[in-house]
Amino acid sequence: MNAPAIQLSQVTRQYTRGGETVKALDEFDLEIPQGGYYAIMGPSGSGKSTLLNLVGGLDRPDAGQVVVAGEDLNQLTSSELADFRANTIGFVFQGFNLLPVLTAVQNVELPLLLTPLSRGERRKQALHALELVGLSDRINHRPRQLSGGQEQRVAIARALATDPQLILADEPTGDLDRDSASSVLELLERLNAEFKKTIVMVTHDARAADSAGHVVHLDKGKLERIVDNRLKAPEAGAPAEQEA
Amino acid sequence: MLRFPWLLVFKNLGGRPLRTFLTLASLTVAFFLLCVLRSVLGGLEAGIKASANDRLVVQSAVSLFVSLPDSYQAKIQSVPGVEDAIRWQWFGGIYQDPSNFFAQFAVDHDRLLKVYPEIHTDEAAAQAFLEKRTACLVGTKLAQRYGFKVGDRIPLQGTIFPRFDGQPWQLDVVGIYRSSSANVDEQTMFFRYDYLDETRRAELCGGPQGAGVYVLALDGRAPEAVAARVDALFRNGPQAVNTTSEAEFQRQFVSMLGGVPVFLSSIGGGVLFAILLAVLNTMLMAGRERTHDFGVLKALGFQASVVFMLLLLESVGLCLIGGAIGISLAVGSQAAVGNAISLVLPTYEVAQETQLLALGAAAVIGLVAGVLPGLRAAQLEVVEALRAEV
Ligand SMILES: Nc1ncnc2c1ncn2[C@@H]1O[C@H](COP(=O)(O)OP(=O)(O)OP(=O)(O)O)[C@@H](O)[C@H]1O
Ligand SMILES: [Mg+2]
Repeated sequence: MNAPAIQLSQVTRQYTRGGETVKALDEFDLEIPQGGYYAIMGPSGSGKSTLLNLVGGLDRPDAGQVVVAGEDLNQLTSSELADFRANTIGFVFQGFNLLPVLTAVQNVELPLLLTPLSRGERRKQALHALELVGLSDRINHRPRQLSGGQEQRVAIARALATDPQLILADEPTGDLDRDSASSVLELLERLNAEFKKTIVMVTHDARAADSAGHVVHLDKGKLERIVDNRLKAPEAGAPAEQEA
Repeated sequence: MLRFPWLLVFKNLGGRPLRTFLTLASLTVAFFLLCVLRSVLGGLEAGIKASANDRLVVQSAVSLFVSLPDSYQAKIQSVPGVEDAIRWQWFGGIYQDPSNFFAQFAVDHDRLLKVYPEIHTDEAAAQAFLEKRTACLVGTKLAQRYGFKVGDRIPLQGTIFPRFDGQPWQLDVVGIYRSSSANVDEQTMFFRYDYLDETRRAELCGGPQGAGVYVLALDGRAPEAVAARVDALFRNGPQAVNTTSEAEFQRQFVSMLGGVPVFLSSIGGGVLFAILLAVLNTMLMAGRERTHDFGVLKALGFQASVVFMLLLLESVGLCLIGGAIGISLAVGSQAAVGNAISLVLPTYEVAQETQLLALGAAAVIGLVAGVLPGLRAAQLEVVEALRAEV
């Protein structure tokens, strides 16, 4: 089997606030294979976003190792981390992903500026990505002129425009109604199945979690269990069991 | 930095149209004022700069307001190096109303045009000036202002030289002159010294005897040496004189304004500082407001330097646009402003140097005002920035 897309070993990320130390992640281990579609679930404050930010190179751990797509992120400078994000990761956040002053297609073109593509190629690729998310008729709309679901789909188009190996989504359906959420989830499933993208999605929504291949449950900065949706049972040998 | 998101700079400027407009308006006003101030300062100096260096001015060593005897003319004329010595006397007459202020000088009419080649008039006027005792020449702008034409008779109520019959002096316009140097403005009236002098001698009017100053045209010898000789000639009286270059003489008038140039400069400095603060405030606001956007850009993989440049370029762009509009307004209004203040300041020109300096100042203000918000944005932690309220 290939090297894992994501490998976290003994990762700790802690915050000190008012003399009190909170371990957002506590000696955390996780491996996600290439082509996997993983949902991360857990109570509020359990460290889901912290995990995603570490994997995406937006944040650094206080201890432990984060290896993504073969890169040990601890070894990278801030500037190299930025390049890593540009080349390897596509992000979708909860709401307010887009720059409000740019149109949909301009937003999608933005990360393509960081590739060697020519202006014409960038436009072509952005239009293609928007077509993929079913928004070819909204390319010149500003974010404010789009519905929440459309906005998220533009964000997904932007995340996949640069053809990254890994798509990280933090509550991509958090602000959406049922129908919009469904179309976003369908899209992510398709990216995983058809385009073989590795996807990690933080969610509170059980329905969203169901659409993923695996569900990682977190609590208080620790891995609780990993559920394989195909088996619908806790995975054997999950760290949670060793530790409970 | 592979490629720069230029589009964002423009879009961000347009993102808050009202704020951008207001900041641009302040920049426009500030740079308009700066150009005007600098042009006024330039105008004050223009007379000095344009002064001829082959002319000297002789004035009383005591004060400009003490007259020199008429008898000095022949003596000065005989000093080696002096080609001509002509008398100038400030007349200070009132034309119809005291608010109609303009300068009138009684001068040695027969040599005025020779000593001042920058004064141009036509042949007929020059001839008439020689022939008619009550003749006067008026500058183009003066003629324009009051509608004076050749053949007009201008009544001037004497103040320094009041006529005992209570009547105004009557001067006949024989010509309109142009000036090719900032040294002589076009808003002056020249009339004949002999007319003033004869009236004075006939005791038909009051006023001091003698001439205010002598202006000397040199024959090419070193001005300093000639000046020293003239000063030496009268060292032991009856009246000591002070002979200076024309530039030095003009400078007296600027220094009579005392702190005015310094005052104007400090207003300019204050305007610059105020506009810097205004732009800095705008850019800090813009930077803070876009914290979330910067988080998104960084998450997408844009380098901190790009985020820094976004704000810096926006700031510089804003200042250059506002500056350019202000400068254009100053240039566009040059004629109108010049006319409005021409009596106080005959030379008013928004010089190219002023325009370039103002544009440079705009760029510098943009840079300075952009650095702080830019650095702040560059140093933002991505996660913190993404957490910021939109
Ligand atoms: N910048 C920070 N400063 C201090 N504490 C922080 C910071 N970021 C996160 N934390 C703390 O770390 C813990 C984990 O936060 P995290 O955002 O990862 O939780 P989460 O699982 O994403 O929660 P939610 O479901 O509410 O988004 C929380 O206790 C949070 O208060
Ligand atoms: Mg979270």
